[in-house]
Amino acid sequence: MHSAAATLLDTRPRTAATERRPVPSLFPASTTTVQQAGYGRVHAHHGEILQGMFYSGDGTLEHGLVTLPCGLYGTRARFRPLRSGPLTVEPRDRPRARVAARLTLDALGRRGWGGSIRIAGNVPLRWGCGSSTTDVLSTIRAVADAFGQVLEPEWIARLSVAAETASDSLMYPPEQAVLFGQRRGSLLQDLGGPLPRVQVLGFNTEIEGTETLSLPPIAYSVWEIEAFQPILGLLRRAVDQHDASLLGRVATASTEINQRHRPKPLIPQLLRVAKEIGALGTQVAHSGTVAGFLLQPGDDVPGRVRHAQAALARLGVHRSWEFSNDLSSQPELVP
Amino acid sequence: VSGTVINANFVDAIALPRIVWLRPNLIGLAFPLMKLLPARFIIRKALEKGELKPGALIAETTSGTFGLALAMVARLQGHPLFLVSDPAIDPPLKRRLEDLGATVHIVEKTGASGGYQGARLEVLEKVLADNPGSFCPRQYTNPNNPASYAPCAEQLAHATGGIDCLVGTVGSGGSVCGISSYLRLMFPELNVVGVDTHRSVIFGQSDAGGGRMLRGLGNSLMPQNVDHTAFDLVHWVGAAEAFRATRELHREHALFVGPTSGAAYMVADWWARENPDHLTAVVLPDEGYRYQDTVYDDAWLAAQGAVIDRLPEQPVEWDRPQDGDDPWAFFRWGRRSYADVMSEANKLQLSAR
Repeated sequence: MHSAAATLLDTRPRTAATERRPVPSLFPASTTTVQQAGYGRVHAHHGEILQGMFYSGDGTLEHGLVTLPCGLYGTRARFRPLRSGPLTVEPRDRPRARVAARLTLDALGRRGWGGSIRIAGNVPLRWGCGSSTTDVLSTIRAVADAFGQVLEPEWIARLSVAAETASDSLMYPPEQAVLFGQRRGSLLQDLGGPLPRVQVLGFNTEIEGTETLSLPPIAYSVWEIEAFQPILGLLRRAVDQHDASLLGRVATASTEINQRHRPKPLIPQLLRVAKEIGALGTQVAHSGTVAGFLLQPGDDVPGRVRHAQAALARLGVHRSWEFSNDLSSQPELVP
Repeated sequence: VSGTVINANFVDAIALPRIVWLRPNLIGLAFPLMKLLPARFIIRKALEKGELKPGALIAETTSGTFGLALAMVARLQGHPLFLVSDPAIDPPLKRRLEDLGATVHIVEKTGASGGYQGARLEVLEKVLADNPGSFCPRQYTNPNNPASYAPCAEQLAHATGGIDCLVGTVGSGGSVCGISSYLRLMFPELNVVGVDTHRSVIFGQSDAGGGRMLRGLGNSLMPQNVDHTAFDLVHWVGAAEAFRATRELHREHALFVGPTSGAAYMVADWWARENPDHLTAVVLPDEGYRYQDTVYDDAWLAAQGAVIDRLPEQPVEWDRPQDGDDPWAFFRWGRRSYADVMSEANKLQLSAR
């Protein structure tokens, strides 16, 4: 029997036993004991470090992004399978999770199965923190877990995109930063390690939020599309050298390009504040409303945070939160 | 530029520079043929946009390395190429262009304005008008010329994690303006130093009073692609100085490159000496083979009167760009527009009289 803890695989390095297990095209139902329930859990992100268009291996251009993991928010799902009958989701306003559960059952060779999915979490809606994706991913994991399966990120990505038209890269663990093609669910580039560790002071630039899935893709200029190459080059350097200051420069550059197309309130002021407080850079949810100042861990973070909070208050932003992108160093806050 | 992959073709294989240390705080970007980047990108974008149909004629005016790069790309892509040049073109280059299938037309007389370049433009426009469906890359005005340098900026960003100063010669405005536009997205404090030559109009000198012996940088017409606001400093380098610096690059670093590389290196070496805590990168645009019978031939140098015993230690600082003739000079351009600099410079000139 597995324990619930064994299902929390998303934030841990994978073990050798689970690492390369392919999804069978038809799962032999008779040879496996069906668990009573499966569990899945996934942390959220805090928008992106980088979002733009990138050349894939064959020279074609694809929309891609690199997210900033955030352990403050997360979603868990429980799936109780039934050999036949309806497939229900609670809360009932998560149709994408239901679609994802159905697709996963089909992929596991459990066509016609039903069951009940229960989703709980604290990811704010419409902030650009991946709330919809966390519903879908935790559901996919819970369904797979009910049949003793741990799916590869590549498989989860395909199921997730099929369920919600665009997906974030949260199926990849934070130890493996990736450039992710959110429209096709494709891995554009494995950056070869985690993002450099940064402390983040996050906040919201708008109260209302944005409906992220309804946004059309940005039509970047030729120069901008080309500019994503050197930005990605610097990001690879930041990962290779564990250089947080370069990560900050990447985030600010991406924020500035995004601002030309999807202008957010306060960004010019926020970029000035980032300079004043000695932040490494400013990141935003490119299709959302959260933003964050990236700070060098250990470099007078409390002082810079106080300074930043005072400046934010003058701009009318009165709520902020702090987190590290190194999820292993944080207390588990996901409910 | 990874040596572990098999490239689709030779242009892709050599389009990016090799990066080498020249001082503890100076790196050289040694291009085999820098203009391959704009030639390849301009053609690729024109095909994507339908401005150039597969197999259609490409026509351009050039007497230099852009023509060679275009000829290589056009050959690989199956486009006929018509190049308009002037008598300054060296015979080996002309033979190489023709071997690549290009038609090379030499204009014999200078134009109504703008010297040979004006005459070349007149021929070019006639060829384009006579050949419907033909495409002209227009390296001096096409924004895809500076835009083509992103892979080089990527290489620099990945290899160095950021530089403090970029030095390069200015001829079309492509390389220095392009590379710096990308790097400044991430490093807005980057210093940009342009290298020009006397009697080039790009940074405010007049082209009157004889031609320029140093080729491959400078211009008699103002190229639209030069973004003057990119430049913190501008240097003017004479031919003898550039030739000497080219030979020193070869003698000291075994770098066999052309005279524009020498001009840029002389300035970059000075900037790096003046700023020992900063990392400088210098653009070295082509190799030395084209110049074996000129810059690399002591007899030719002597015949040109272009021999100096040693390089000047320091450039002379000018307070205005338009009327100086010191063999090596610089001016604090200060990221200003051409109009801003010239209106101030003209006031200074008047008050000096």
